[in-house]
Amino acid sequence: MISPSLVLQNTIDGVFLGLFYSLVAMGLALIFGVMDIINFAHGDLLMLAAYFVWLTSADLSVDPTVTALLLVPLFFLIGLSIHYSMIQPVLGKEPLIQIAVTVGLGLILQNIALAIFKAEPKAVAYSLFSFSYSIGPITLYASKLFIAVVSIVTLYVLNLFLNRTFLGLAMKSTADNREVAQLMGINAKRLYALTFGLGTALIALSASLWMTFGQVQPYLGTSFSLISWVIVAMGGLGGVTGVLYSGIIVGLAESLGSLFLTPSARMAVVYIVFFLVLWFRPRGLFGRR
Amino acid sequence: MSSELSLANVTAGYGEFVILHSVSLEVPQKKITALVGPNGAGKTTTLKTIMGMTRLREGNILFEGEDITKLPTYRRVELGISLIPEGRGLFPSLTVRENLVIGAYTKKAREKIHESMEIAFSIFPKLKQRLEQKAGTLSGGEAQMLAIARGLMSRPKVLLLDEPSQGLAPVVVMELFQAIKKLNDELGITVLLVEQHVKESLELAEMAYVMEQGSIVMKGRGSELLADPSLKKAYLVY
Ligand SMILES: Nc1ncnc2c1ncn2[C@@H]1O[C@H](COP(=O)(O)OP(=O)(O)OP(=O)(O)O)[C@@H](O)[C@H]1O
Ligand SMILES: [Mg+2]
Repeated sequence: MISPSLVLQNTIDGVFLGLFYSLVAMGLALIFGVMDIINFAHGDLLMLAAYFVWLTSADLSVDPTVTALLLVPLFFLIGLSIHYSMIQPVLGKEPLIQIAVTVGLGLILQNIALAIFKAEPKAVAYSLFSFSYSIGPITLYASKLFIAVVSIVTLYVLNLFLNRTFLGLAMKSTADNREVAQLMGINAKRLYALTFGLGTALIALSASLWMTFGQVQPYLGTSFSLISWVIVAMGGLGGVTGVLYSGIIVGLAESLGSLFLTPSARMAVVYIVFFLVLWFRPRGLFGRR
Repeated sequence: MSSELSLANVTAGYGEFVILHSVSLEVPQKKITALVGPNGAGKTTTLKTIMGMTRLREGNILFEGEDITKLPTYRRVELGISLIPEGRGLFPSLTVRENLVIGAYTKKAREKIHESMEIAFSIFPKLKQRLEQKAGTLSGGEAQMLAIARGLMSRPKVLLLDEPSQGLAPVVVMELFQAIKKLNDELGITVLLVEQHVKESLELAEMAYVMEQGSIVMKGRGSELLADPSLKKAYLVY
């Protein structure tokens, strides 16, 4: 028998997890919306960043939350280099070529990680946020609360950036109509580079948050890629709000799915919800007509 | 009459397709020039070529005496050329205000954004009541006004208009032509107008060009072409 308090506990955990998933997917949504390219290495870049976090905390005893401050600008630069070396040359080319490039990048990252760190999962020994509160039958883990708060604040700031700055509006306009955006005097090449950099920087932030409680192994990227695609497919066209809502749906599906069925069935539940949403709304939750 | 913008023997197209064949065209400063012709003649391609959005194979484009043939699109906008694209090309998920703001994206335009807004409202007062509405929800006439207003936000010296009257009711078309005349008269903006309403355009235009199958087949003063019997027969049903 599943008690109401357990349902409440899992609902809260699901929302927290969903907020984090939204942040994870946001970089993919941004790059896809503005550049019309699917970054298949999305999750693998998160895995790479997670190893950075693990290294700094294991060797230098730096807390993952502090690592983020360094990792975010570093990954912005890594994003720029990937963009100029691999993405820019294939923009506007056939989809198959674009897919090959980012899938290839993901595989290379996986193999490098496997060679250096081996398959065994690594976790950070401690974190600033490894305590918890109890409110009646509900337990709030500080790390999960922290992750949810950082995620939502980041998404809020990103939304302000997209709506209130020239650069942000340029990204939104380009997502709406690529050709006409150039007619506004937007330097598309530069905008694409900045978008890819920003998307990659967001990945680094997600990785830092993940490592406050999660583990990293070479194939960590695959599950994050899948979750991000589901979220973007469901809500990607709705901008930050769309990603937020579908992230929460995915988080809830996973958390409640593992409660009502078995933990191993949780991804199956996520996919069932995904198919149901696309069955009733083929263009996603926020698709235009 | 000095020309502000000119194409000299421009051959251009898309990828392997060559659409324009050695097109030469002069757009005199502070005047309205019309470019007319049947569907598929290459009028839109001409305007896109001026903006650097097609594949130019031969010839040159001059703006204020400077060769802009090789400049990327955004640089041409910065220099002062603005295209109001066929079908308006609004950003539907942005509000009316945001569409106007993004129209002032270039560095120079940002400094004058408030003044530009006032200018836009002086020509299209109706937009003022629609500022917070999503552009995707505007009526056809409002949408076209926003498209032109957005084009004005970059403070262009030359405005290229691609069939602005498309899909508008006759009354609204009249209003639109008056607005075009106004921004030419009062703001001194040079206009290159592509239109299906041949008669009205030729009346408005100082100079006019007729394009067929990617070549200029006739040119002259608007009033001359208006009186030309062969043109009358081909395009003007009145
Ligand atoms: N992207 C493209 N790729 C290949 N051919 C194109 C492309 N765009 C237009 N064309 C072709 O170029 C020719 C000229 O088209 P264009 O749009 O310039 O004509 P137009 O004079 O503006 O016509 P309309 O009055 O219908 O707008 C047409 O035959 C068209 O099919
Ligand atoms: Mg056309």
